[in-house]
Amino acid sequence: MIGLLSVLFHIFSYLVLIYFLLLNGFYLFFIILSFFGISRYRHRTEYVRMEEIFLSPLAKPISIIAPAYNEENSIVESVRNLLSLEYPQYEVIVVNDGSMDSTLKKLIEAFGLKKTQWVFRKVADHKPIRCIYICPTNTKLIVVDKLNGKKADAMNAGLNIAHYPLFCAIDSDCLIDRDSLLRVVRPFLEDPERTVGVGGIIRLVNGCSVKSGQVTRIRLPRNILARFQTLEYFRAFLGGRIGMSLIKSILIISGAFGVFRKDIVLKCGGYRSASIGEDLDLVVRLRKYLQDHKTPYAIHFLPDPICWTEVPETLKALGRQRNRWHRGLIEAFIYNRRMIFNPHYGVTGLFAMPFYLFFELLGPLIELAGYMIFALCLFLGLVNYPFAFIFFLLSIALGTLLSVSALLLEEFSLRRFPRTSDVLLMAVYCILENIFYRQYLAFVRCKAFFDYLHGKKEWGAMDKKGFSEEIPCP
Amino acid sequence: MSHFVIIIRASVYVLIFFALLILFYIVLRRIYQQVNDKRFNLRYVRIEEGLLNALSTSGPESAVRLAEEYKRFPDVLTKLLLDYAKLLSGPEREQLKIIFRIALEKKSLRDLRSRRTIRRLRATRLLGFFIDPLKMGSMLKLLEDKPIVRLAAVQAISRLPTPETLGLVFQAFESDLCPNIHSYINIILSLGAKAEVNIHEALKKPISQEKIALLIELVGAIPLRSLYLDILSFADHPEKEVRIKVARALGGLSIPDSVPVLIRLASDTAWEVQAQAVKGLGRLKSPEALDILAEAFFSKNWHVRFNARSGLMSLGEVGVKRLEEISQQTRDAYAAAMAAMALHDLYLSCEQMNT
Repeated sequence: MIGLLSVLFHIFSYLVLIYFLLLNGFYLFFIILSFFGISRYRHRTEYVRMEEIFLSPLAKPISIIAPAYNEENSIVESVRNLLSLEYPQYEVIVVNDGSMDSTLKKLIEAFGLKKTQWVFRKVADHKPIRCIYICPTNTKLIVVDKLNGKKADAMNAGLNIAHYPLFCAIDSDCLIDRDSLLRVVRPFLEDPERTVGVGGIIRLVNGCSVKSGQVTRIRLPRNILARFQTLEYFRAFLGGRIGMSLIKSILIISGAFGVFRKDIVLKCGGYRSASIGEDLDLVVRLRKYLQDHKTPYAIHFLPDPICWTEVPETLKALGRQRNRWHRGLIEAFIYNRRMIFNPHYGVTGLFAMPFYLFFELLGPLIELAGYMIFALCLFLGLVNYPFAFIFFLLSIALGTLLSVSALLLEEFSLRRFPRTSDVLLMAVYCILENIFYRQYLAFVRCKAFFDYLHGKKEWGAMDKKGFSEEIPCP
Repeated sequence: MSHFVIIIRASVYVLIFFALLILFYIVLRRIYQQVNDKRFNLRYVRIEEGLLNALSTSGPESAVRLAEEYKRFPDVLTKLLLDYAKLLSGPEREQLKIIFRIALEKKSLRDLRSRRTIRRLRATRLLGFFIDPLKMGSMLKLLEDKPIVRLAAVQAISRLPTPETLGLVFQAFESDLCPNIHSYINIILSLGAKAEVNIHEALKKPISQEKIALLIELVGAIPLRSLYLDILSFADHPEKEVRIKVARALGGLSIPDSVPVLIRLASDTAWEVQAQAVKGLGRLKSPEALDILAEAFFSKNWHVRFNARSGLMSLGEVGVKRLEEISQQTRDAYAAAMAAMALHDLYLSCEQMNT
């Protein structure tokens, strides 16, 4: 029996090793791609002037849609931020998705909102709207109060109200840089026929100072978990998404900040109201629709339009957030399963979807299975200790290399950390994140499978602190 | 197994080495960039001083001297010229042109054919400000380039609205078998009223229906009121796309004489034409259109209704009266709700004006 287990253990070890090398090999490949992509992007945009885009008669108007659910701590600051953006013509549609707190009240008080009777065309499906408010002093602002659905449902309500040909999906607890809209809209000006969606980068506002809705001082978060997430966001956005965008395989434009063509999204039926991971689901369905209709298209990810978001600072909140993200991923894959390995969908069906399936969706299961089998073998005395130790070191070294490479990408793209000491401190976190943090995330993501099977649909809200006001420099 | 462990162990050392190397590189790069930026800024300030001197003198001598002295630093000169080109116009820009011609023109023209996008882009930006209009032909090829270069070329070409440039742009547009429609729209729209004569002539030529539609749209978008009669002749065009553009252009031109044509187009067979015509009538604020707009409120198509709503809202007291009637009728609840919404919006804006 022990002999059989030993053989099985060896086979499994080699399978895990191959999987591990493949996974990290792909990540490294994306980082190398991103390195070239960012360098190229930086050089090219050196000669692009944002003020010319602002003055251009070609800049299409944008409807910013910001769904809000229980955001009383940050909503006013966020809306002020949205109303102060540099863009020739835009409107801000805040969709209060049945908040239980005083989100709506705060908006009414802060902006002097007035009720209006609004008749609109219901193209995308959503829960009933209770009332629509407009701001008499700033006609750019529209607030929609509706019954609670999910984020996708709120986005659909916003889409029906939106007037303009482009819309920007943004989380209402985010802040975007003043010129981010000008930056993110550039591909729509350059290639208006093909561009259907553009995503910007998400960065952490934790630890930064905010004044008048704008991030004024960038610092590392003080919270350890937030620091780990800083690294994770660098890897995901600067490494993964730019790399995947370059090989036309990007499947997700973050729901926190992305601009899309409204007509195409409505042709796809808008957001799928029931979806938990509405951002991934939308991009996958867009690709499906456009490839089914043989329409040439482009979906871009850019490294410099920045959106600042607050990330969880407790394990519980982080676990809830990642659990939801993973449930969203599972759901989107089940819904769009026909695209996987389907040559009709080109690189999306043959590479992007299988990659997400094996390395993002099933990755945590395989990782956790590895830990469990290792524990079992430890118990049965089957472990070759030198091999196990060296394998453990290999995984830490590879993880560290990937994270340090992501730091390098940050240096190449935006270099937002002014102090070299911050970079060195982050290098320490590149090593530390391999111990406990990674395993914890693998665990909560695995739990998402069970939650999904049990029909858990809850959003997993996190407690928001809101944005910290600027502290004068000593 | 032992060989395997040795390989993995070696890999660990290699990975750690690379991680440390990257970290070391990041720190070194930061130091190098700081030094480099400082040097660049110093040169920039020095050349800028020279440029300001040259700008304060009337003759070209200072500019020539400056260009000769600093043509070794094309990057700094490029940045300086681009920064100042936006700020200066008229005779002051002539000094910049002298510097450009001596220090950067040959390189820029050569770079237009470069395989590297960044060089083509940089050259396009510079030439857009300083090129001799007669040499503009070389930039038209860039309209088929990568999107980022194409946009820069569009901006550059539209910055030089000389008759020569316009002639070249329209010649390319008319002869192009598969025109890059958006590029041409962008250029002509940016040229504005200066393109009037060329559009007038192009509309008379036997060009494709797609191009005709594009030109009609531009007449309304710029807008070019003197070309009103030119586009009227297309109001009965058999192609729906052309009629849509005519209706839209007439709305954009806001010429009272076009009301009868728009009224006719408001009962077109295609709803797209109806919607544009109703929108145009609304913009013209003509009382003659009152009945048509009220009728359009009951259209089966949402776009037509929505445009009728905006139209009636813009008609003042008569429009409000008609909106009140529609809001009180019971045969179409949707129209009644939409009229009520329009009235509510009007009251809100009055309230806002009073406060």
